[in-house]
Amino acid sequence: MKKYLKTIMLSGILAFGGTVVPAVADNIKIGFNVPLTGFAAADGQSALHGAELAVKQVNGSGGVNGKMLELVVYDDQASPKESAPLAVKMITKDGVVAGISGSYSGATRAAATIFAEAKVPYISAYAIHPDITRAGDYVFRTSFMGEVQGRAGAKLIGEMLGKKRVVMVTLNNDFGKSLAAGFKEQAKNFGVSVLAEYDYSIKDREFGPIISKIKADKPDAIYASGYFFTAGPMVSQIRAAGLSQPIIGQEGYDSQKFIEIAGKASEGVMITTSLDRDSSSPETKDFISGFAKKAGYPADMVAASGHTALLVVADALKRAGSNDAAALRDAISKTSLSASTGKISFNALGEVQKDVQVQVVKGGNWHHHSVISDAVLLAPPSK
Amino acid sequence: MLFFDLCIQGVIQGAIYALIALGLTLVYGLLRILHVAHAALFTLGGYIGVIVTNGSGSFLLALFTSMLIVAVVGMSSYTIIYKPLLNRAPLISLIASIGIFIASEELFRIFFGAYGLSYINPPLQGQIEILSGVSLSHARILVVVLAIGLLSGVGWLAINTRVGIAARATVIDPQMAASSGINVEIIRYGSFFIGSAFAGAAGVMVSLLNNLVEPTMGAVPSYKALAIIVLGGLGNVRGALVASLALGIIESFGTIYVGHLLDRDSIAFAFLIMVLMVRPQGLLARG
Amino acid sequence: MAYEIVVLTNMAIAVLFALSLNVITGFCGQVSLGHAAFLGIGAYTSAMLSKEGVPLIITFIPAMGMAALIGLIVGVASLRVRHDFLAITTMGVVFLFTGIVRKQEILGGEIGIAGIPAPDFGRVGLFATSLLCVLAYLLLTIWIRRSWTGFAFDSIAEDEDTARLLGINVPKFKLFAFVVGTAGAGLAGALYAHQVRFIGPDSFGFVESISVLAMVIVGGIGSIWGVILAAAFLSALPQFFQVIDDYKLLVYGLLLFGAMRFAPEGIDGLLKKIVRRRAVK
Repeated sequence: MKKYLKTIMLSGILAFGGTVVPAVADNIKIGFNVPLTGFAAADGQSALHGAELAVKQVNGSGGVNGKMLELVVYDDQASPKESAPLAVKMITKDGVVAGISGSYSGATRAAATIFAEAKVPYISAYAIHPDITRAGDYVFRTSFMGEVQGRAGAKLIGEMLGKKRVVMVTLNNDFGKSLAAGFKEQAKNFGVSVLAEYDYSIKDREFGPIISKIKADKPDAIYASGYFFTAGPMVSQIRAAGLSQPIIGQEGYDSQKFIEIAGKASEGVMITTSLDRDSSSPETKDFISGFAKKAGYPADMVAASGHTALLVVADALKRAGSNDAAALRDAISKTSLSASTGKISFNALGEVQKDVQVQVVKGGNWHHHSVISDAVLLAPPSK
Repeated sequence: MLFFDLCIQGVIQGAIYALIALGLTLVYGLLRILHVAHAALFTLGGYIGVIVTNGSGSFLLALFTSMLIVAVVGMSSYTIIYKPLLNRAPLISLIASIGIFIASEELFRIFFGAYGLSYINPPLQGQIEILSGVSLSHARILVVVLAIGLLSGVGWLAINTRVGIAARATVIDPQMAASSGINVEIIRYGSFFIGSAFAGAAGVMVSLLNNLVEPTMGAVPSYKALAIIVLGGLGNVRGALVASLALGIIESFGTIYVGHLLDRDSIAFAFLIMVLMVRPQGLLARG
Repeated sequence: MAYEIVVLTNMAIAVLFALSLNVITGFCGQVSLGHAAFLGIGAYTSAMLSKEGVPLIITFIPAMGMAALIGLIVGVASLRVRHDFLAITTMGVVFLFTGIVRKQEILGGEIGIAGIPAPDFGRVGLFATSLLCVLAYLLLTIWIRRSWTGFAFDSIAEDEDTARLLGINVPKFKLFAFVVGTAGAGLAGALYAHQVRFIGPDSFGFVESISVLAMVIVGGIGSIWGVILAAAFLSALPQFFQVIDDYKLLVYGLLLFGAMRFAPEGIDGLLKKIVRRRAVK
């Protein structure tokens, strides 16, 4: 019995003893919950690289208000059950001045409540759950909501490409569903008729039946939501089945890995996203080259989002001039910053307002296609 | 036309299920355990397939290497996981197997990266028109050919060779088989060898169809294959093959026609539950 | 202290959840690979009611009732299948549950339910409530264990056919186990919903079902104290292991394997072995 009591006590000490690495008291701590193990580890890793790059850049140019930034990183396995206690830990144990989520929707939504109630600013880097910013005044989002991107997709297909008969392939989760809602809401305004919509689950990699049906539907274009690991197989299977219609995706595709998986089939695929590879802005250029050097693989949307979210906090800290939470919150809400994902500002709800970048695969790389900057169309909900 | 197309897609999926389920049902027949870690062998097969193809340029070599290595790893999984637990309740083996499966997913991630691997030049991408308007890639046709070839090979072995007869005898009554001089251990190792090799082959083919192997590639097969062997009547090889094909076709039509009500997994399990309510011993009773 | 309270509450909820499966799988020998569905049913019921303004404590009753009702239906269906067929049928139940919830707009669909109100009594209060729930359920299971019902469960777990020959009404006791077990899961779900305050279909899937089964088996099938220790330990593992970040799940998997390989009778078996050794000395 004694032996087991000892084990239990030891584990208890491990659990409650806090971080082993002694932190320098003078650093400004920023919390970062991110999936580093489990199914979402690939995105988590990218987001973390992006945020670490931003910290390096900020500290390299003298830090903030004379102090260095320090990331407090916790693995949440993209699970709300894990992220909620971690949020409490970041706030009460680590004393972070702000938190950033480099995680998926569920984990972000659960942590957002805790940050909002503790009145510590929290930024969702790329989680798209519509209710995240509704957790409270202290929660912001630096990426597009699904609905906004869905509307941009409708404009891209109906107006810019002039395709009117569309089949939708929708990923069955909050990302896919909110994209689909935005797309359908605006489809009529751009003269687009949705012939059919097929759902698939995030676990699916085999799209044979859906593609057979799309073939029979004979659409002008395919609006397919997904992540690079579902979209890669999907696009290659669509082309392998002999369909040549334009395929329009979103930021979930936005990774070099998508092109690697889909190979030649990826040529001509268009997406709505927030990272412009051919951007002339110095912030974006710096980020793209800095990221490739740091991570060893090309930048993607998730990485840029992690990077942007951290820069938003750093910029607000500078303008607030202190670590005071309320001042920091006010500074974040007045953000007007050129970051790797474009010009960032927030609306009353804390949702980002920026242009949508349309990227296209050409010669095995993502390239600039066009920009959608219709402020009315892209307006996120403000309450 | 769409009807035939959907049937063909269902058969392709069914062929993959069958390759995976065979090993699982063999193991169940002999040991009465649910071998969840089998799905990790499937993933391992995919990784070896991609790595060898990219390294050597020969897909055929990759397929054989993968089947061989996975078969050997599969046999050692018997030694490491199940053999010491044979006298325990089957639940103990199940949890041990799940533990190994979780750990191996993480090992794949740590060794090969979270992003997974892809073929640099995916082979067998040419198209053949099998009906007017229905064309299939060589890779898809190979899946079906491979499944039919491998499975009928095993069927022939089981019926026509001494080893096959001994194996079937062991499934029906291990004690009787042992007392009539059959080396039960060899039969077990042989089943793990064949079953794992087939899972490896399935892994290679799936990695080619998706042009992607990820650490979590085995997640769906880990439970779907269990459903298949239960549907087929646990331990019944013929039943598992029938169930694979049935599930492939039902999922194919299901995703199109009831996809807005239920996702693919739920369709499969709804079917499973309906069948078990009518036939509690599965589609084909144990034989 | 806030963090410790949150982690301890998580542990208490996991203990309750594992104890509830222990009634079905441990006592009565009916393997369930789908227990998370009932955690989900309790969580959704409680969350929706408390968003309408019903106090948390009151929502416990419908949460348990709903879970037990569906548990009864599943139990009746499960009477037709046995052993591994039963295990896979219950696995089907959890896939059907998440599959159906995903498509129901009224349950939040894929988006889930956010903004579940915090209980009036705060974090410490929620912890105390969870502890009380665990205690009440614990007493119930101890009582069952010691009653005639516990004896009947034992004989069903041992050998169903013999139990039937002995004149034990097997279906009745199986259904009783299902009702008590799923009601406990429903209660755990109600607490879970108010602890995490965001629920979605992915939180109640197959993985969750497997991890609670692992708690019961690692604890030692049927052993109340072993299951409590295992559930408390395994549920807090991801929080303990923040130090070894990248290898967390690897360690978890190996731990499950190692526990089964070297201590197949679970924590319970280990404790007994130690006690026996002491006695010999």
